[in-house]
Amino acid sequence: MNAIDGTDRHIKSTDGPPPSLLTIILDTNPFAWAHLSSTLPLSSVVANLLVFINAHLASGNANEVAVIASHNKRTAWLYPTPVSAHNTNGHISAQNGAASHTQNANKYQPFAEVETNLLSNLDDLLKTTTPDDLSTTTTQIAGALSTALSYISKSTIRHSPVDPTLLKSHAILIDDGNLTSQRINLVSRILVFSVSGDLASQYIPVMNAIFAAQRQRIPIDILKLAGDTVLLQQACDATGGIYMAPESPQGLLQYLMMAFLPDATARKSLVLPSAGSVDFRAACFCHRNVVDIGFVCSVCLSIFCSPNLQDSTCLTCSSVLSLSSALTAAPALIPRKKKKRKRAPGDGSTPGGSATPLPGNGTPMHT
Amino acid sequence: MADSDGEYIEASDDEYIGGGGSYGTRGRGKGKKGQRADGRAKNAWELSAKTGLESYRESADGTIGKSIQEREEERKRKRLRKDTKAFQRGIIRHIVLVLDLSEAMLEKDMRPNRYFTMIKYTQEYVREFFEQNPISQMCVMGMHDGICIRVSELSGNPADHISAIQGLRDPKSSTSKEPKGSPSLQNALEVSRATLYHTPSHGTREVIIVLGALLTLDPGDIHKTIKSCVQDRIRVSIIGMGGRMHICTQIVSRTNSGDESGYVVATDQELLRELLLATTTPPVIRSSAPTTDGAAVPAESAASLLQMGFPSRIVEEVPTLCACHGNLTRGGYTCSRCKAKVCSLPATCPGCHLTLILSTHLARSYHHLFPLRNWVEVSWQRAREKGSKQCLSCLSDFPEPPSSHIAHTENGAESSNGAANRTAAVAAASRNTAPKGKQKKDDGSNEDELATASESFRYECRDCKSHFCIDCDVFCHEVLHNCPGCLGGAGPRKEEGNVDTEMSG
Repeated sequence: MNAIDGTDRHIKSTDGPPPSLLTIILDTNPFAWAHLSSTLPLSSVVANLLVFINAHLASGNANEVAVIASHNKRTAWLYPTPVSAHNTNGHISAQNGAASHTQNANKYQPFAEVETNLLSNLDDLLKTTTPDDLSTTTTQIAGALSTALSYISKSTIRHSPVDPTLLKSHAILIDDGNLTSQRINLVSRILVFSVSGDLASQYIPVMNAIFAAQRQRIPIDILKLAGDTVLLQQACDATGGIYMAPESPQGLLQYLMMAFLPDATARKSLVLPSAGSVDFRAACFCHRNVVDIGFVCSVCLSIFCSPNLQDSTCLTCSSVLSLSSALTAAPALIPRKKKKRKRAPGDGSTPGGSATPLPGNGTPMHT
Repeated sequence: MADSDGEYIEASDDEYIGGGGSYGTRGRGKGKKGQRADGRAKNAWELSAKTGLESYRESADGTIGKSIQEREEERKRKRLRKDTKAFQRGIIRHIVLVLDLSEAMLEKDMRPNRYFTMIKYTQEYVREFFEQNPISQMCVMGMHDGICIRVSELSGNPADHISAIQGLRDPKSSTSKEPKGSPSLQNALEVSRATLYHTPSHGTREVIIVLGALLTLDPGDIHKTIKSCVQDRIRVSIIGMGGRMHICTQIVSRTNSGDESGYVVATDQELLRELLLATTTPPVIRSSAPTTDGAAVPAESAASLLQMGFPSRIVEEVPTLCACHGNLTRGGYTCSRCKAKVCSLPATCPGCHLTLILSTHLARSYHHLFPLRNWVEVSWQRAREKGSKQCLSCLSDFPEPPSSHIAHTENGAESSNGAANRTAAVAAASRNTAPKGKQKKDDGSNEDELATASESFRYECRDCKSHFCIDCDVFCHEVLHNCPGCLGGAGPRKEEGNVDTEMSG
């Protein structure tokens, strides 16, 4: 198809680095921020974040940014602002925003646009948080990651070398056909500002998101301001992102600029902060013990720490498990029998050495 | 005048819907139903010849471009049409992939020819297969000149298989094979059977055959081979090209306890790729009821406890030799039992034969066990009701519902509702999803409904009622396996009204 419609023209390599899409997931869990308020208030984090976003936008003409809030019961877009469903006010408010920041002539327009949108959306989000919403203390990181990944995948399609407006459907078809890796023009990454700890309830969705990111080659960077999760650490490790828990969060901007600003293109030539060791051992489903060698149910893949289960049924899917059938080792090889034929000449060889009828064998040596 | 006009339209409207039905007999809709009553679904290749031109139809606003787009969407959605009920699936699979290397593969109905197409797609397939089934094993074979040759050994490392398949077509490599002679299904099945003979009973034993030829040249009685395959609980699925063969139908149906859906025919290369990729989903485990043969068939998959090691990763100062390849590496994973170092996981420890795996590999298979439900098409009417303007996850704009605009251009004296129905009927004529029927089906569990393109280019998650675009639909079902709406708290709890406040907020 390339040859036919001449799309090769578009692929003509540009000399500059490819445009980079930075998707930021801001964990806005009120509990965690309340806890952090003495050392690192949300306002200062947002201020630092805006400087960081500006730096990202400034480092490339075509760079893009998207910000998603992972609140404690829902996720919300902070930038770009979505058009709301029923009322058409979305347009108007966006225009209002545009009007307000065009007035400031001293500010680079894209910076101002991100700033006003992000701040107003964050403001709305916090205002609409009712006491009812505070019943859960976790954050919707799985939803935020899923949204971010879908957004990135769509942006990647939009940026693929084939003209998206004219040949939209075909572009997608091609994108489907050969692996996207060859055509990706957009370099994307996800940065998570994480403040919440326990994510165990979202284990499967987060894992799914991690695998999706891994497949799309999207690194997930984690900036851990509070709490501790192995899950996000694994996300970093699996996707090749940077995991960092700043020791002195007051210098947040420094951490952001030094560790997280370089995009995937630049990272190839940098020494990245290493995550240290990642704990990959599994916790068993029965006692929550961390195990080295575990026993896995072949039906539902639950992990147990000992093979002696009650009634030998799986605790999760209650299917009857047998250990013996799993122990069918590779078929053993029967050792080859000594061949009879070998014996026949052997018979003759050892004792017959002396009794050889050969005339000139031993005798000439001896004499 | 206005009155009669209205009457006329109503009559035509009815007639049109009826007409749509009769069109369907030619196309898919009704014909399909009729076939189902007979108990035999139409095969893909029987349909495609007829649906060619018919499906290029003017869409509601008279452009043909959009309906082409719809066709593409429809095509993309086809892959999503898998059963999303939570069945027990054989997560631990043992697969023999048999490639046809006979001279039939030199046919040029795929570009550049069947052989190269197959090689290209199978490489992609192997990668995808191990993405989806990280703890499974695969072996690749080829049917070449009457005999069955082994391309790669049974192993869980995708790189081995990919390089072996690559080696088939690389003229410089010693294993290079030009398509030659005839294929022999019997030989292929016998060799596969021998390969799978010692695999443990908790895993599945599957043979996937890509068959280009329309013949099989067998040295003996293939029916005996089939019988012994059934006894060894081997499941065969065949992807044919060009046409169907009776013997293949028989092989597939007998080894799958009567289910012949495993025999499919690829009419073009896109379809070949799709059909191949469709087999990456683990097969449903059937309960161990006595099969048709009455022979003492062992339970299809006896559940068992598997001993597995979860090794920790080490980083070393000095490079050491790995136990698996004998290469010098700086780090790796040490076997939890014998401390041998392997470079990558999942693997079987070369020292003590313990299965080594990361807990994340297990997690990778979870989406087969807890699949994401299919999203449904959204009619214009529903779209208007919902007022969705953007895809929830990627914020790309949806086209506006053609509310008054169409009604004005087509015939002014129609209510907007009727207009919607009518435009829907026009648009749906090629797809046979009249909105009325769909509304009815919507509340039922129509998981196996034919996935088609949505007329409003929106797709709705049944749980959180959010709307998504086609790209996100495909992405979420094929790659992500999550619904951004459900996880993002756009649950049914705060339907309709609250969604917008939330999204604007």
